[in-house]
Amino acid sequence: MRPINLILRLYPARWRARYGDEFAAVLEERPLGPFDVADVLLGALDAHLHLRGLGAASQHAKGFAMSLRIGGYAAILGAALIVLVIALTGGRSGGSDNAASIALLVALAALLVGLTGMSAFQARSDPWLVWSAFAMTAVGSVVIFIASVSDLAGVGPGDWRDGLLPIGLVTAGLGSALFGVATYRVSVLSRRGALALMIGPVAALSGAIAVSQNAWELGMPFILVGIVSFLAGWLTLGVAAIRLDRAASTLGPA
Amino acid sequence: METRIPELGRFAEPALLILVSLSDGPKHGYAIMADVEAGTGRPLGPGTLYAALARLEERGLIEALTPVDRRRPYRLTAVGATNLAEQLHELSEFAQLGLRRLGNTSG
Repeated sequence: MRPINLILRLYPARWRARYGDEFAAVLEERPLGPFDVADVLLGALDAHLHLRGLGAASQHAKGFAMSLRIGGYAAILGAALIVLVIALTGGRSGGSDNAASIALLVALAALLVGLTGMSAFQARSDPWLVWSAFAMTAVGSVVIFIASVSDLAGVGPGDWRDGLLPIGLVTAGLGSALFGVATYRVSVLSRRGALALMIGPVAALSGAIAVSQNAWELGMPFILVGIVSFLAGWLTLGVAAIRLDRAASTLGPA
Repeated sequence: METRIPELGRFAEPALLILVSLSDGPKHGYAIMADVEAGTGRPLGPGTLYAALARLEERGLIEALTPVDRRRPYRLTAVGATNLAEQLHELSEFAQLGLRRLGNTSG
């Protein structure tokens, strides 16, 4: 079954009978990115609620829609939580910290939502790049989840650097860097933020490799610059997305 | 028939943008999306588009025309045009008020 038919089957039969053909034609017009797929999934949920009289037809209820604003706030939340993780762990390499693990997982989930919400225009010209960025961030998050659960179950390594956690961090970090590349190429939101997002994970990874070879003095500045650049990238893109959304919102009713 | 756009909840804003897009003639779904995105610089997802289109059609603000190659154009109804004009006048009055006050305070 084609992906578009699969997506359409999520909508109620009554809705499909009326809008199915033309909706499929719209979906076929351009490459679908994570933003479009998330928006369609929310649209399917809304259609079910709406046809049952529970959607935005009721004056008390709001509908569901993916937007730049959601992406922007999620990106800022994700970056803020990563700062919290760094503060909680304080750079320790041993022991387990449940609060830090949970904060890291929530941060990555927020960054994934941020990437989805801010990826609409990038996916039009570079769908594979955006999907790769999404997939790497998602896979990295799952690996970190497995590492955290292993740690909580007491079967993880004593030093987190020996377990799955670094693999998850590198994968998720490179996913962010790919999103930075896609954003920079399309020149949307903030090119400076996109550049920071591209440089951050690569610099941090280079620093980590240097540190693993005992070149601490060379590696640590790279790690520091990489983390700051990574956080600055997400924050800058998040703020740019909210600003763009607000500017366009002046056209609509309050 | 009194149908206020803000009653459309989360879809009030896309609904207004869609009505503005249809104000210069009928358009099909993809053309509306492209027009709104070009006008606002902000993405309009297909799920949001059709959620808003369904509500606008239910309220009689737009009507569907005969499809051409699976693309179904929509156009404003008379009620929709009146409603859009009222909404835009209100926005314009609000904008004028803000600009006047801004002129007073900065002058």
